Order: sequence, then C-alpha cells, then structure tokens
Amino acid sequence: MSRIGSRRVQGAVLVCFCLIAVGAVAGPAEIAQIKPRQDKLRDMGGALKAVDDELKKRTVDWDNVVLPNVQTLKDRSGYLLNWFPKGSGPESGVKTYALPAIWQKNDDFVKLGKAAQAETAKLAQVAAGKDAEALKAQALATGKACKACHDNYRSPDYEKENED
Amino acid sequence: MSAVPAVDETASATLKPARLRIWDGPTRVMHWLLVILIGVCWWTGIHNQLEYHLYAGYGILWIVVLRLYWGFVGSSTARFAHFVRGPRHMLDYARTLHRRDTDHSYGHNPLGAVSVLVMLGVVLAVVGLGLFAVDVDGLYSGPLSIFVSFKTGRHLAHMHYTWFEYLLAVIALHLAAVAFYYIYKRQNLVFPMISGSRTVAEPVEEKLRTVPVWRLLLGAAIASAIVWLVIDGVYYFT
Repeated sequence: MSRIGSRRVQGAVLVCFCLIAVGAVAGPAEIAQIKPRQDKLRDMGGALKAVDDELKKRTVDWDNVVLPNVQTLKDRSGYLLNWFPKGSGPESGVKTYALPAIWQKNDDFVKLGKAAQAETAKLAQVAAGKDAEALKAQALATGKACKACHDNYRSPDYEKENED
Repeated sequence: MSAVPAVDETASATLKPARLRIWDGPTRVMHWLLVILIGVCWWTGIHNQLEYHLYAGYGILWIVVLRLYWGFVGSSTARFAHFVRGPRHMLDYARTLHRRDTDHSYGHNPLGAVSVLVMLGVVLAVVGLGLFAVDVDGLYSGPLSIFVSFKTGRHLAHMHYTWFEYLLAVIALHLAAVAFYYIYKRQNLVFPMISGSRTVAEPVEEKLRTVPVWRLLLGAAIASAIVWLVIDGVYYFT
C-alpha cells in the first residue's frame, strides 16, 4: 500500500474511533432529548414572557393569561433537571446552546436548577394571591434564577445562530 | 471708488492663525455621548448585563432622536441641508480624495455626510430591533416586545446582534476614514469634534450660525417624550 493510501486508512480508522467514542457517550436516546428540551424551554420562556407582559398592562387578565402560564412554568420546571442527560450537549453534533460545563460542574448546575424550581413554585403561590406588585417581584426573582443558570451553562446569544 | 479695502501687506505677513468655529456644543456632546453609550451597550450586551444595556439603549434612542431634530433646526453645520448633497457632488469630491492639497471642508465633507446618514440609520435600526427583542431570561426584554411573540422576539434579538455587527463595520470604516485624513491628508478631524474649532492660517468666509438655546431645550423635551412613550407610555394604551 502506498504511503498516501496508508494514511487514508489510518485517518478513516481514527474517524471511526471518534464516532464510536462520541456514540458511546451520546446515544440516540440522549440526542433525542435535545429538540424536545429546546421546545419545552422555549415554552417556559414564552410563559414567563406572557406573565411579564400581562403585568405591564393596566388591567391584568389573571384567569386567562397569568394563571395558565404560571401553571405551565410550574409544571415544566418540575422536570427541568431530567432534560440534560449526559451526551445531550454539543458533543452530540446537534445544534444546542447547552454548554459542556453542565456535565463538568454538574453539582452546581443541579443546585441552580433546584433554585429555579423553588422560585417557580413560589411564583405559582404568589400568582394565586392575584397581587400584581407581589407577582412582579416574584417574576423578577424567577427570571434571575433562570439567568443564574444561563450565565454559566448556556452559550451567549450572540455566539449562536437564531434558534428555530 | 472701490469698496474693497487696500491690503496692508505688513499686517498680512504678520497675520496670526485664527480659530474657526465649526461644531456647536450640542453636536459635539451628542457625538461623544453616542460613542460612550455604544461602548456601554457593547460591553453590557456581551456580559449579559441587560438592565444597564437597556438604560444605555434608551440613551442612544434619545440622542438619535435629538440629532435628527438638530439636523433640521440646529446650528448651520449640524443641519442636513448643509452637508447632504447629491451623488454627483459626492463623486466630484471622491475624485479628489487622493490629493493631499485639498482644503478642509467646512463641516461634514460630502462623503462624511454619507457616513453620518448611514451611521444614524444603522444605529436607529439596532435600537429599533432592540426595542422588540426578547431576553431569553424573560428579565430585560425590549419595552415594545409586548407586541410580539416569544419566538418572534427571540428572532429580533438575533437580528439586533447581526445589525450591531453591521454598526461595528460602519464604525470601523468611520475610524479608518478619520485615520486616512490625519495620516494622508494631514487633516485632524478629531480635535475639532472635541474643541469645536480648528486653526486656520487665514480668516475664512464661513461662519458657524448658532441658534437660540430654547430650540435645543425643545428638542430635548421632544426626544424625552418619545423615549418615555416607547418605554412606558405605550402601556397606557394596553
């Protein structure tokens, strides 16, 4: 075999090993989590936005807008930490904002995730009281809990293409 | 009898360089405030300090609105009518760019006029997109994002970044032009934008025509009202 041919075989073997190595970590089940995770997180973002927008209006529609969206946030946040199995990060080859730090500093990530869950549960409690000013304060606290996680474990917006 | 006074050659030989006033205070302050606030917006955007990013963005909107107003009623060199000319005028000027012996333009030169319009337009586009952009944390979305869906607002946020990159390109071109004038044509454009004037060897005919201060105050009030309407006022109609 010529030297060039030998190198090609070596290269092909290396690529195969890499693919196997990635596949060993990122299986189909983990990869399949990414798109639904993005959809669910987008739903949560949309729900928090709907609550925030409603609270800015002169008259707040509690029953049709605020309470259903708060419920969405509460329901979804309960499962939040299940959406990040190892292998569902950028190493999967799927376009994702999730940073490898999620799995490298998983204890901290889980701590922040639980804090976000706690703030969202509190949001539901406060919303039940239908006090706009109190809910504004709690929506701010919930957003800050989201931000605390995003600051370290999500790629900055400007580094990525538009999320569709 | 001639109306032209006789030239005193002795006096002419000892003529001291004079200061020629070019830019009024408001134009200079708006220019440098815009520089500072664009820098603040850039830094706060990169570091996800969106609370301050919003404040700086509102400041930029205020300046752009005031600058547009000042372009119609401000002092002579700030007015669009003073420096915005047709394409033929621009081409004639562009043909002299390679020459080092051309005179200073009084105010914006014809190509600088394009730079001003493009800069204002792109800044306005970036600010406009930011007003509708949705923050992923739901904390500091643009004040008009209430009128768009989460998905549309996120899309506009990405367009906001893209147009900011265009703005950086326009700023880079502007800085390159300033450097070109300084190095190649020996014309310092920065100092007059700081001091308001430049030194001329001989008195020249042009004179900065300033306007009463109430016009500036009226413009500041109009700009403030528009920014308030965008930030808070729209919610009075919801």
